Amino acid sequence: MPGTVRVEYQEELDRLESSALGGLDLVSTALSRTLEAVEHQDVELAQVVVADDDRIDGRYLEVHQALITLLATQSPVATDLRLISALLHVLKNIERMGDQCVNVCKLIPLTGNEPPSDQEMVKLILTMGGQTRTLISQAKRAFEDRDIELAQDLVRQDDVVDNLNRECFRLALELGDDADRREWAMTMLLGARAIERIGDNAVDIGEQVAFVVTGLFQEFEDASHPA
Amino acid sequence: MGAAGAIRAESESEVGKVEMKPPITETQAGTPEATPVAKGRAAKTLDAREVNLFYGDFQAVEDVTMTVEPNKVTALIGSSGCGKTTFLRSLNRMHELNTGARVEGSIQLDGQDIYGSKVDPVQVRRLIGMVFQQPNPFPTMSVYDNVAAGLNLNAGRVKKSEKDEVVERSLRGAHLWNEVKDRLDKPGSGLSGGQQQRLCIARAIAVEPEVLLMDEPCSALDPVATLAIEDLIGELKSKYTIAIVTHNMQQASRASDITAFFNLEETGKPGRLVEIGPTEKIFTSPEKQATEDYVSGRFG
Repeated sequence: MPGTVRVEYQEELDRLESSALGGLDLVSTALSRTLEAVEHQDVELAQVVVADDDRIDGRYLEVHQALITLLATQSPVATDLRLISALLHVLKNIERMGDQCVNVCKLIPLTGNEPPSDQEMVKLILTMGGQTRTLISQAKRAFEDRDIELAQDLVRQDDVVDNLNRECFRLALELGDDADRREWAMTMLLGARAIERIGDNAVDIGEQVAFVVTGLFQEFEDASHPA
Repeated sequence: MGAAGAIRAESESEVGKVEMKPPITETQAGTPEATPVAKGRAAKTLDAREVNLFYGDFQAVEDVTMTVEPNKVTALIGSSGCGKTTFLRSLNRMHELNTGARVEGSIQLDGQDIYGSKVDPVQVRRLIGMVFQQPNPFPTMSVYDNVAAGLNLNAGRVKKSEKDEVVERSLRGAHLWNEVKDRLDKPGSGLSGGQQQRLCIARAIAVEPEVLLMDEPCSALDPVATLAIEDLIGELKSKYTIAIVTHNMQQASRASDITAFFNLEETGKPGRLVEIGPTEKIFTSPEKQATEDYVSGRFG
């Protein structure tokens, strides 16, 4: 009867899933701090985010190793095999998301103590970040609930982030001739780009949800062959 | 942290989006290509239609319809008592050797009914050979005579030179020649378990069957001998149609192209075919929950 054998294996698999998805909570915290550091030009807080990324990398290494051990010792097949394959992908996505927060935080000291900032652009980036945080928690919920519809909805949510990113670009172009201001805007554009990539990673996690449920891998949006 | 640092360095160098290849769909992943058929000889298809099998009043197998395809290895899996071995034995008319055994439905070898009224069951068993769980060489016969045994039975008198040729070809085909060529006159029972099983495979292929049926051929062997037999099965499929019953799920996933899962609802009920499909599909995303539970080892 289902569920009566391989209890420890099942518990270990459940534990690893929740540990891997817990990595998304770490990323969410890192992103919140990153946005706060951007808003207040807080170099110290940015350094905390950079240092704390070791926790996300540690989670990656620990869960990755445990999943490999399960593969080697338990010969998982069918849904279990798909879940493990998906978790290996998701871990990589999480690790990248953490790195993108680090990338933004490393930009903050470059802009100096009193940067010639444009409040409208900062506001746009903060809005982008907030929307991206929503994507992260939605990706987590979609995975936990094996909810394909919720996973596919990530594409729609990510379009909002992409549009805000384009808006940032437009603003940067219109920022005028002052060299310092232009340099600041360029730096902030790199930050916006990094946040935009976090959204893409959340969509990738949604694709893994569909793979776990259906056994078919399909990109929700094919950037190389747009519709 | 060294390793984590390395991970980050890689990510920072990332420029632009990494575009993925087109989606991998089920059909593209596909089934393995059939091995080319050996020249001058085409393996045959074994077709079972609505097969019901009985031991007296007890129905062991209910309504099985499936095809054993040529040049492929078809694995029959399922828990004990699910009827897979009974079904396998019906494929070369060995089931009827049990007292009170009965077969309903049709089984055809390339369109020919093997249960036809004018068909000689002995001839069927020559065309559709069987290898058993326990290696069963004739204990008092030499290695040579074990392989030649089927020839003597089937073809009347055969010239010594022809016999030599068939014995060597069969032993080579079973990957045993190099190990036994210097002791062909020694008893077959003196070989190791793995060698004995390969000897039985050589004996089965000596009569040039169309189909090879194997009933848990590795369950009495150690892991190395098991892998040797699996390699051999992989080679034999270029010439034969092969069906194998196995309790070892990894063996089914390693050695077969098609997997058929048999199950029974409860003890005393007949076994049924639950699902058949490409092995890769059965072990990555089976259609039926019962298959999923069985291959995942969640069946107590």
